[in-house]
Order: sequence, then C-alpha cells, then structure tokens
Amino acid sequence: MEQRLANCVQLTVNEKQFIENALLSELRVDGRGPLEYRKLSIKFGKDDGSAEVQLGETRVMSFVSAQLVQPYKDRPNEGTLSIFTEFSPMADPSFEPGRPGESAVELGRIIDRGLRESRAIDTESLCILSAKLVWAIRIDIHILDNAGNLVDAANIAALASLLTFRRPECSLGGEDGQQVVVHPPEVREPLPLILHHLPVAVTFGFFSNENLVVLDPTYHEEAVMTGRMTATLNANGDVCAIQKPGEQGIFQHIIMHCLKLAHVKAGDITAKIKDAVEKHNNERALQKIKRRSSSVSVDVCGTTARLGGKQNQSGGGKDNSHLDQLKPKDEANFMECDATSSGQVQINKKDEGSKNFTGGPSSWYGKKDPYSECVNSDLLKAPMDSEC
Amino acid sequence: MESKSSGSATNLVDQLVYPGDVVLDLSSMTNQTIKLGGGLRQDCDVISVMKAGRLRFSKPNKYWVESSQKRYVPHAEDSVLGIVVDSRSDNFLVDIKGPAIAFLPVLAFEGGTRRNIPKFEVGALLYVRVVKANPGMNPELSCTDASGKAGEYGVLKEGYMFECSTGLSRMLLSSPTCPVLDTLGKKLSFEIAVGLNGRVWVIASSPPTTIIVANALINSEPLSGVQQKIMAEKLLQRVQ
Repeated sequence: MEQRLANCVQLTVNEKQFIENALLSELRVDGRGPLEYRKLSIKFGKDDGSAEVQLGETRVMSFVSAQLVQPYKDRPNEGTLSIFTEFSPMADPSFEPGRPGESAVELGRIIDRGLRESRAIDTESLCILSAKLVWAIRIDIHILDNAGNLVDAANIAALASLLTFRRPECSLGGEDGQQVVVHPPEVREPLPLILHHLPVAVTFGFFSNENLVVLDPTYHEEAVMTGRMTATLNANGDVCAIQKPGEQGIFQHIIMHCLKLAHVKAGDITAKIKDAVEKHNNERALQKIKRRSSSVSVDVCGTTARLGGKQNQSGGGKDNSHLDQLKPKDEANFMECDATSSGQVQINKKDEGSKNFTGGPSSWYGKKDPYSECVNSDLLKAPMDSEC
Repeated sequence: MESKSSGSATNLVDQLVYPGDVVLDLSSMTNQTIKLGGGLRQDCDVISVMKAGRLRFSKPNKYWVESSQKRYVPHAEDSVLGIVVDSRSDNFLVDIKGPAIAFLPVLAFEGGTRRNIPKFEVGALLYVRVVKANPGMNPELSCTDASGKAGEYGVLKEGYMFECSTGLSRMLLSSPTCPVLDTLGKKLSFEIAVGLNGRVWVIASSPPTTIIVANALINSEPLSGVQQKIMAEKLLQRVQ
C-alpha cells in the first residue's frame, strides 16, 4: 500500500483551494489566462512520418508506418488505420509498463474517432488490388513526459506525423495485371497520404464552480478539476468527435460555448501544424536537390568522387546493382572533379558538413548499411588528406 | 594527475567534480582528522568523489559534495514539507518525497497528549522535522524541535505549494539571502516555507502576488545571482 502511495504525486488541499481561487480572478498558476494554450513546438525526425510535439512540458512522440495487408471483407476497397498508444513509465510515476491502462485506451480512442469517423484520411487511395492488397497505416504514439493534456499533444503529434509520412509507390505489373511491384524510395519518389482535413482535439477542464472553464490543463489542474471534455474539430468548424467521460455534469450552453472556443483554437493549431510541416518539407526538398544532382553542383561531386573511388576499389564485396549501372556516368564525373583544385573541394566540403555524410552516400548508392562506409578507414584517411 | 591532487585540495573546492576525481591525498597530510560528508569516499590513501556536484569545504576540516536532484533522500534534522496521506491510531502517514512514506507520531506535538490529538485531513500540508532516517526504514518525523517546542512546525494553511529540486531549496535557504528573494521582498510582501525535500510553500495577500513569487522562484534555479536580480526586476516591472 505504501509503495503505491509513494508512486503518485500527492495533492494538497492548499493547492486545490488556491487553483480555484486564482481562477475566480482569471489567473492560472503558470501565469496564463484561462483560455490560453501553452507554447507548442513541433519537431520532425529523420524518418518520414515521425514527429515530436512539446506542449509546455508535455512531450509526445508519434510514428507512422505502413504495411501491405489483406483488406477487411466488408470493405475490400479501403485501406485500414490503427492507433497504438504507449504510456511510458518515464512519463509519469503512475504509468505502469505492460498493458495499457484506462487513460491510454481512452486517448487512443479519442484520436482514432477523430480521424476515422470524420474520414480525414482518404482510405480508398490506399487500395492497391481490390479485395487482395491494401495499405494498413499504423500510428504509434509514445508519451515521453506527462505535464497535463496528453490528448491534445498526442493528437497534434499524430497529425504532424501523418502529414509528413510517405508511403512507397506501387504499380501493377505482370501478365494479368495482378502482380504488385513496390518501388523502393530511390527508384520512385514515395507518396504522401491524402488528408482531407485536420481534426484537432481541444480539451476543456471544469471545476466545482460552474462558470470556470480552462483550456489545456496542466498536471495539477487535471488533478484538481472535477470534469473534462475533449472536442475534436477541424478548421472549417465541423465537429468530428466529442468525448465527455462522466464526472461532473455540464450545462448545454456551456458546451456550446466550448465548441465555439474549440473552433477558434482548432484554426490556430491547424495553422501552426501546417507551417511546421511546410518548413520541414522545404528543408527536405532542399536536401534532396543537393543529393540527387551530380553534374549541377561540384560540391556534391567532390565527396562522392572520394567515396565512389573507394567503392570501386573495394570491389564487389557490396551487393549493389545500382553501382554497376551508375559506373560509366561516375567515371565521367570523377574526371571532371579531379581537375578541380583540392582546395575548392575542401571548402565545399566544409559547407556541406554533415549533410552529405548523413544523407548523400546511402541514397546515391542504394540501400545498404550506412555504417560500413563510416567505419571504413580509407574514407577516414581521405578527408584528412584533403585538409592537410 | 598525481601532481594535481597531491597535498591540498584547495584547487578543487567550490569546483564541479565528477565521480572518480581524486580530491585529497592522505599520504601527504599527517596527523589531521578530516570529516567527510556525502559524496566522498576513502579508498586507502586517497579521498575520491562518488557523486557529481560541487565540492564544498567548511573550516576546520569538513569536505562534502553538493548536488541537486529531483528526489529527496531523508536525513535526520532536515526540515521538510510533508503531505498527510493517511492517519493511523498511533501515527500519521506523511509523504516527504522520499523512497518510503514517513511516520509522524500523534504525540509528537508541543504539549501533545492522548486527549488532544490533532486531526489532519488527507492532503494537509505540514512543516515537519525529520527525527530518524535510516536506510530501508520509514523515516520518523516530529512537529517539535529538539527541545520540544513547536517553533514554526505544524500545519500550513492556504497558500500555494510547488515542487522543485533539492538544489533550489538549499539556495533559497542559504545565508546571505539569495538575490531573488531580496529583490522580490523589496516590492512584495509574502511568506515562504522551504522544505529541504524540494517543496516550497508561498503565501501572499492575493493570488496574483503568490503566482508572481512562485514563478520567480521556479525560474531562478539555473540563474546566477546577478541574473536572478534582473529576472525578478523584469517580472515586477511587467506586473506593475
């Protein structure tokens, strides 16, 4: 019993009284107004479809992945969507590892309903072969730090990762058009998911005084509040889902007022998500341009010349059919680049810095273990030579 | 390495030290008694550091390492803020942010007898003193000081409590008074109770003042003395 008590954060009567008193004068403990959101920051990972959202101190991470599966019998033309939540024990001392608890299941259900019922994701575009093969989209949400309002943060993370996810392009081939060829990302550009709109979840907290409503409650406010409601809306004002899990009753006019507030906030948050996704897409596009073009920019050429040279020498140990195809072209490039002064290559290398090392080689030469290049001592020697 | 650590440790006092650093070489000091506090260990002839933090020295011969954590390890004679979680016939169960729940005997109050046992509801905030804290056992608390007088110990009514790291608690209790408290005290009137277990209670005449003080204290942890003054002054200006 004592172990269990020691695991949860305790709430004092002082805090409960103080939070409610402060709200009567429209002040919250961290200095916000009752209807303000905390600072929202959206970051993306290296992989397509991974996003990390920080809402104040709450941190949530989301990954999207796709797999080819057989569709459900009653929906042979639609892809499937599934959401898995993981409440990591590092987020909160009361989270236990293993089976998801009630709040984990509830969070998954709210996000699932927001996306599925409102048909935000176009599932028909995920069908490859009717009744045989469709894409199954899987969203994994990991809670990293619980400082209140996990639902909103997790929803934003799920949307951000869906917007940046890219699935491989497939084409039908073979004699009867029934053979499916999945193209790797180097051969054909992977495709984004089609999202019709962005359902944003907005959580409200209610207190024992009926007129007090807060948006985006913190951890302590969640412990003190007597009722909550999550409304999922999109920027057009369509209500996608509403979740009110029991507890204190709320008057109808307060619910309507909350929905209007949620509409405004959904617009703000949608704009922020779209901005962050656009910035990320622009950065990625810039990186791709530098990687793909060989004759256009000499700086890329410089590094690939070095690596390419070593590759050719180290011979057929690596299994790349791509390398053989590209060889004649490369040779021409090497001749061009060798003519340039080593000084120029050195300067260009400094400009590119880490970008070429992380992105360049693996995409140019096809999918292989990137570590084999990094550890190769010849490669380590080559840059040293140019700098001396 | 040998030459750096030979003889006096004056070069490392008040510096950041890491586990494995050698602080004192005993072979070069004869006939001296040295008292070691937390974070230091004797390995034959040398004193080495076990915990990362700042090395402190107090005359004539005490050395210890100070570090800041979110968790609290109970020590005897610490004044802490506890939250009542349950009451039994002979003890109150009080949470002091340590690994085990602490016991507060029902008679450990000034003039406490079986007839006037105080009644605490679950969630009451108390300012208490740790009497005994042995590893593996539940710590024992008391609402009186060593001589039996109540002093400032007891229940704290109203106000607002927040949690912080042990380092911030020690900074708020240091003398001379830390700069953020000085600057805030010049313009605002408030009262605080600081527990060495990383809990601070603030009370002021109105909720906005309490919130300003609480936020200023929370934000002052990573700042130096001068930065704290500047931060506190900016906060006060914004409000008035």
